[in-house]
Amino acid sequence: MIAGAWVCLLSPLAGAVAITVAGGRISRSTAAWISVLTTFVAFAGALVAFFGLWAADPADREQVSTAYTWLASGDIEVQLQILLDTLSSTLMLIVSGVGGLIVWYSMGYMKGDEQERRYFAYMSLFVFSMLMLVEAGNFLLMLVGWGLVGLASYLLIGFWHHKPEAVAAAKKAFVMNAIGDATFALALVLLIWATGTVEFGDVFDQVDSLSSTTVNLVALGLLGGALAKSAQIPLHTWLPDAMEGPTPVSALIHAATMVTAGVYLLVRASPIFEAAPDVQHLAAILGAITLLVAGVIALVQWDIKRVIAYSTMSQIGYMFLGAGVGAYGYAIFHLMTHAFFKALLFMTAGLVIHHLEGEQDIRKMGGLKSVMPRTHVAFAVGGLALMGIPIFSGFWSKDGIVSAAFSSGDALGYTLAAAGLVGALLTGLYTTRLYFAVWRGAQSDLVKEHAHEGHGEGPRSMTIPVGVLTVLATIGGLVVIPGVWEPFLHWIDETAEPLVQATVAEDYALSAVAVLLALLGFFLARHAFEKGRQFVTNPGIWRVLERKLYFDEAYDALFYRPAAALSVALRRNVEEPVVERSLDEIGSGAIQVGGEVGRVQSGLLRTYAIAVAFAVSVLIIVFVAVR
Amino acid sequence: MDGPDVGWYLIVAAILFGIGALGVMLRRSPLIVLLSLEIMLNAANLTLVAFARQQGNLDGQIFALAVMAVAAAEVAIGLGLIVAMARRRVPLDVDQASALRG
Repeated sequence: MIAGAWVCLLSPLAGAVAITVAGGRISRSTAAWISVLTTFVAFAGALVAFFGLWAADPADREQVSTAYTWLASGDIEVQLQILLDTLSSTLMLIVSGVGGLIVWYSMGYMKGDEQERRYFAYMSLFVFSMLMLVEAGNFLLMLVGWGLVGLASYLLIGFWHHKPEAVAAAKKAFVMNAIGDATFALALVLLIWATGTVEFGDVFDQVDSLSSTTVNLVALGLLGGALAKSAQIPLHTWLPDAMEGPTPVSALIHAATMVTAGVYLLVRASPIFEAAPDVQHLAAILGAITLLVAGVIALVQWDIKRVIAYSTMSQIGYMFLGAGVGAYGYAIFHLMTHAFFKALLFMTAGLVIHHLEGEQDIRKMGGLKSVMPRTHVAFAVGGLALMGIPIFSGFWSKDGIVSAAFSSGDALGYTLAAAGLVGALLTGLYTTRLYFAVWRGAQSDLVKEHAHEGHGEGPRSMTIPVGVLTVLATIGGLVVIPGVWEPFLHWIDETAEPLVQATVAEDYALSAVAVLLALLGFFLARHAFEKGRQFVTNPGIWRVLERKLYFDEAYDALFYRPAAALSVALRRNVEEPVVERSLDEIGSGAIQVGGEVGRVQSGLLRTYAIAVAFAVSVLIIVFVAVR
Repeated sequence: MDGPDVGWYLIVAAILFGIGALGVMLRRSPLIVLLSLEIMLNAANLTLVAFARQQGNLDGQIFALAVMAVAAAEVAIGLGLIVAMARRRVPLDVDQASALRG
C-alpha cells in the first residue's frame, strides 16, 4: 500500500516532466491526455493506499516510508519520507480524485488556447506539489510542498500573462503567500532549535517538554502559514483577485485543494496547537471573523467567480473554526464535502462563462435555466450543498462544526457557534442571490444572443466531470450521520483525536436552526430578487462592502506606501550620493593612477633593455655583497 | 687538462656579453640589435662550453647546441620581421616603433 502512495506522489510529477520535456513535439491534446491520465494514475495509487490502510490493523495505520536522507547537517537529519495515515490517505484521495476530474474538465475548457501544453504542465506540477504537501512525512518536506503549491498557484493565476490584471493578481497571491511561507519557515527554525527534529512523530512527542513561549511562537508561525495559504483574514486579500486565472484553476486550486491546505496543517499539527490553546482559539476566532466578513462581502459582488471565491473564504472560515475548537474530523469532513460542491460550483460557473464566451458579470446573465437545463441542475445541487440543506453534502459537515463549537460549552464556543449560524444565514442569502441572478428571471440580451449557437452545454470532457461531482456533492456527505453512522469521523479520529464531541441532541437541534436560517436566507433572497432589490440599500455601506472593507487600501497605506517612500528616500540620500558617488570616485581614481604610471611604458625598446640590464646588475651586486 | 684556465674563457664571454648588451641598449637599427642579441647568446654559449670542458662532461656542449638551434629560429623570425618592416616602409628605427607607449 505504501507503493500506492509513492505512485500517487510521483505520477503527476512524471506527467509534468514529460509534458515539459516533450515540448512542441507532442500535440496539445496529447499533453492534455498525459496530464489527465497521470492524475488518474495518482488517484488509483491513492485508492490502493487507502484500501490497504483500511484493511490494515488499526494499530498499523501509520506508516512512514523513507526514500533516502535528503539533508544531513550536524545532528539534524531530514529524510525524504512520506507518511501514510488515515488523514493523509483521505487528503490524497480528495486531491487526486477531484484533481483528476478538474484536469479532465480543463481539456474542454482550455481547448483552442495556444498554450495548452504549458497549462497542463502547470496543472500536473500543482497536483504533484499538493500531494507532496499532504504526504510529507516531516515539516520540512511539507514546507517544500507548501512552497511549490504557491508557485503553481502563481503560475496558473498569471497563466494569461497578456492580461495585466492577471499578472498583478498572481504577484499579489505570491507575496501574500510568501508572508505565510516565511512565518511557517520561522516556526520550523524555532522547532529545530528547540527539538532538533522536524519529523511529525518526534516533534509531537517532545511538544509537552517545551516551554510555553516556544510552543506558542511555533504555533503562531504555523498559523501564519495556514492563514495565508487558506486566505483567512488578515492575509485573505489575494483570493478574490486570484479569480483572474482560468476557471478550472479556480476550481482546483482556489476552492478544492490548495486553499484548504491551512486546515490540513491545523489538523496535522494538532498536538502543537493543543499545547498552545490560545493560538488554537485564535485560529477559530479568525475563522469565524472570516466566515462572516466574506459572507457579507459576497452579498454585493457582481462577478460570478468572485461571489463563489468569497463563499470559499467563508467556508474555509468554518473549517478553521472547526479545527480551532478541536473538531478535527468535522473540519476535514467539511474540507472534503466543500471540495466536492465548491469545485462543482466553479465548474458550472465555468460552463456558463464558456457558454457566454467569457462574460462573468451576473448583471448581464439571467434566465439561463431554459438554455442550459442540465448545468442548472448541477449548479442548484452545488448551491443546496453550500447552503447546507439536508441530504446534500454540506448539511452533514457544516452543521457538525457549528454543534462542535457549541458543545465546547464556554462563552467562546457559544460565540463561535452563533457566528456559524449567522454564516448559515449569509450563505443562504448570497447563494440564492447568485442562483436567481444567473438562472432565473427573464433572459438577458447576452443570453439570448448565445442561446441558439448549438454548442449545447459544453463538450463531454466538461459535462462528465460535472456530472460526477454533482453525484458526489449530493451523496458525499452520507459518510457521517450523527449518532447513526460515523465512519469518516472515526477514520480521522485515529490520527487526530477530537477535543470536543457534540451530543446527538445538540447536533440535530443546531442543524435544525442552521437549516431554518439558510431557508430564511433563501426566502429573503428570493423575495428581494422578485422585487428587483439588493440586500444592501444604503449606498455608503454598499461602497464599503464593494471595496471589500478597504483591506487593500489599508495594506497599501500601511505597508506599500511607507516602503515605497523609504525606498525613494534611500535612493535619494544613500544610493545616489554615497554608493554611486563612491563608485565613481574609485573609477576615476584608478584612471588617474593609471595615467601617471603609464608614462613608464615609453614604448622604447632600448629603455626597457637598459632597465633590465640595470636591474640585473643591481641584483648581482646585492647577491655578491650578501654572500 | 690542456689549454687556458676556465677563467679566461669567462672573461672573454663577459666581454662579448657586455658588447652585445651595449649594442642592444645603444643601437637603433633593429638589424644591429638582433646581431647584438646573437653576440649575447654566443657569450652564454661560450660559458656553457667552457664549464663543460672544465667539468669533463658533454652536457654543457649539448645545451649550447640547443641554444644555437633556438637562436637560429629566433634570427629567422627576427629577420622576417625586419624584412616585413622594410617592405611596409616602416622606418628601421627601434625608437620609432613605440606603439606600446602607455
